Amino acid sequence: MPRILKDFLSRNGTGPGLVMLGLVLFWTVGLIILPQLSMLDFSFRPNLPPPEMGGPKDVYTLENYKYLIYGPEGGSQAYNTVDLMVFFRTLVAAACVTVFNLIICYPIAYYLGQTKGNHIRVFALMLIIPYWINEILRAFALRIIFGETGVLNTIFTGIGLFDTPFDFIRNDYALYAGLGYAYILLMIFPIYNVIESLDHNQIEAARDLGAPWWRIHWRVVIPYAKPGISSGCTMVFMLSAGALAAPQILGGPSSLWFTQLIYQQFNDSSDWPQGAAYAVVLLVTCVLLVLAVMRLFKVNMGDIGK
Amino acid sequence: MNLSFLRLSIWLYLAIFFAYLLGPLVIMSVTAFNSPSFPSATPWECLTFEWFSALFQDTRILNGIKNSLLIGAGTVVLSVTMGLAGALMLTQIWPKLRATYYTVIIAPILIPGVVLGISTLVFWDRINRMLGFGPDSLLSSGLFLTIVGQSTFIASYCMLVLVARLQRYDIALTEAALDLGATHAQAFRKVLLPFMRPAIASAAVLAFLASFENYNTTTFTFGEYPTLTIELAQKVRYGISPAISALAFIIVVLTVFAALANEATIRRRELVAAARRNATVAELSGGRVTLPGFLSGNTAAVLLVVVSIATIVVVGTATVYSPDQCIADVREQKRLEAEKRAEELRRKRDEERKLKAEQAPVTTAPSGSTGSSSFGGVFDPNALQGVPSEPEEEGGADSGFGGAFDPNTLQGSGN
Repeated sequence: MPRILKDFLSRNGTGPGLVMLGLVLFWTVGLIILPQLSMLDFSFRPNLPPPEMGGPKDVYTLENYKYLIYGPEGGSQAYNTVDLMVFFRTLVAAACVTVFNLIICYPIAYYLGQTKGNHIRVFALMLIIPYWINEILRAFALRIIFGETGVLNTIFTGIGLFDTPFDFIRNDYALYAGLGYAYILLMIFPIYNVIESLDHNQIEAARDLGAPWWRIHWRVVIPYAKPGISSGCTMVFMLSAGALAAPQILGGPSSLWFTQLIYQQFNDSSDWPQGAAYAVVLLVTCVLLVLAVMRLFKVNMGDIGK
Repeated sequence: MNLSFLRLSIWLYLAIFFAYLLGPLVIMSVTAFNSPSFPSATPWECLTFEWFSALFQDTRILNGIKNSLLIGAGTVVLSVTMGLAGALMLTQIWPKLRATYYTVIIAPILIPGVVLGISTLVFWDRINRMLGFGPDSLLSSGLFLTIVGQSTFIASYCMLVLVARLQRYDIALTEAALDLGATHAQAFRKVLLPFMRPAIASAAVLAFLASFENYNTTTFTFGEYPTLTIELAQKVRYGISPAISALAFIIVVLTVFAALANEATIRRRELVAAARRNATVAELSGGRVTLPGFLSGNTAAVLLVVVSIATIVVVGTATVYSPDQCIADVREQKRLEAEKRAEELRRKRDEERKLKAEQAPVTTAPSGSTGSSSFGGVFDPNALQGVPSEPEEEGGADSGFGGAFDPNTLQGSGN
């Protein structure tokens, strides 16, 4: 190991090499690995006031994880149905948002990737502009549209589709539309990047051989675009499961997102270890789900982030 | 036939898609100019600019912008340097470690922002306690925590941008510099850094934007430095106002400006390059290449000029325009409408009362006789029939019995 270090320093010069090494270590160890481990450690501890931390009461316990499953001790119910329901609802809804995004983005990505011309640049610009605008403001824009006196309700009651304004927010339609809206770009760009490199002759060949358009997509384009699709899906799933702003602004008053529970534990009940435990559960579940789906579709981890 | 149908459906799909993407922003921008205090595009009432002045008087928003700029600057410096170091390391790390290392530095992109915020908060809180600092030390200040928390994942974005450029770097250039006697630091500063400059610039812009709009991580770490996004989120959650639309409109316009300016310069560079390529040798050596004008063949530049002029016109109108008259008109109209509605309601109630009055004797008679014997004389069924209105007034005054007889009497007397 020291020989590697010496090689490294002689290749980069002692000063620059040390600076580089220091920065990388600070980032990987100090900002990525240790904080995650620290959060994991914290989630196994009881909620103590600062003076008692490190004292005799500061022992490892599974209390915080038990709370998620069984609820408060001596509670009326056998399981913590409220929190568990929120948890599963979040995962299912995030998966639905991912599938929805994939369906609406795939045609766009295919079109942008396979069409040549100047207007493609205009489209790309129009895609990017909404993403330079704050996440909160985007959610706010959707709230104006979906509100009780919002544009959609005015239009729909105006043309006589509904008699009374429909409460999109209470029924969570606004939330799903907002989450889908927030992550469109993250779905389009990975798929677009891959499809752009697909040789158009392959599609022509398939067409010449008599394949209908859906079979061309099924057998030629989609298999080729699989790394892009999986990368886009992974990002959208992780981000919508971990979204906080959209559920806070667009979510109905009776339905919570799992991240909102975590937020409440940190800010309202100031039970940090409990919140850390929930965060660990969220992170581990999402990672496992993503890995399982990637295994199912035979995609490599290295393709993510390309 | 079939092909044109396909083409038509593609365009329709594109139109719907971009309506979904851009429509909300357009509608939000429109609400910034409408006068109702609840942001709405319909019904259109008055053109007003008061929400912009409301925005510029909001000290919390202004303070949020200041904090955002401060945190953004810190995040740009930290994440670009870390990203550059990480990218350089990726090119020369021990091959066996490479995959693991790549997974570690790419992971923050996939970790939910909430989790990053929590882990940053918990970790630095512990470090702070281990070092024995108080709760107001640098390590627990919102500024430090937010910069560190955001840089954790923004550095990954920067790394991706920088690696893409670094892959095209010829290491022989550095070697040549070293052979010619440069120190490592000099070779880095004079050879590698200039090569990386475009990528560093785009990484810095990306980092700043990501930092500026981050919410999930910042919401756990901001402490006493609430950023613009945090302030906005709090405003949006507890009562929304068109002043937020006004801010959004400003951001939209700035974004469009930046995008168009960027497009225009790129296109300009292409046009100039094309002109040079087409020029003859004599023209080139004489330095008399006729370069195209800034606006010719450059749609983005034309649009840029149009948008600038429109902005100037709008700002000019805003300074002289006063919507007071229109707002007064709308208020008057609303008052009239409300009056009309009240009038209608009154008429309906009168009719009801008349109807009730006709039925009144029938309903009151039995209860009057059975309910209380002492009132029996007053509520004599025969007397009631003669003067229907009088006992009703009495019934309204005497809550104990009047209410029991007929619920509408109270309403009638209140009229």
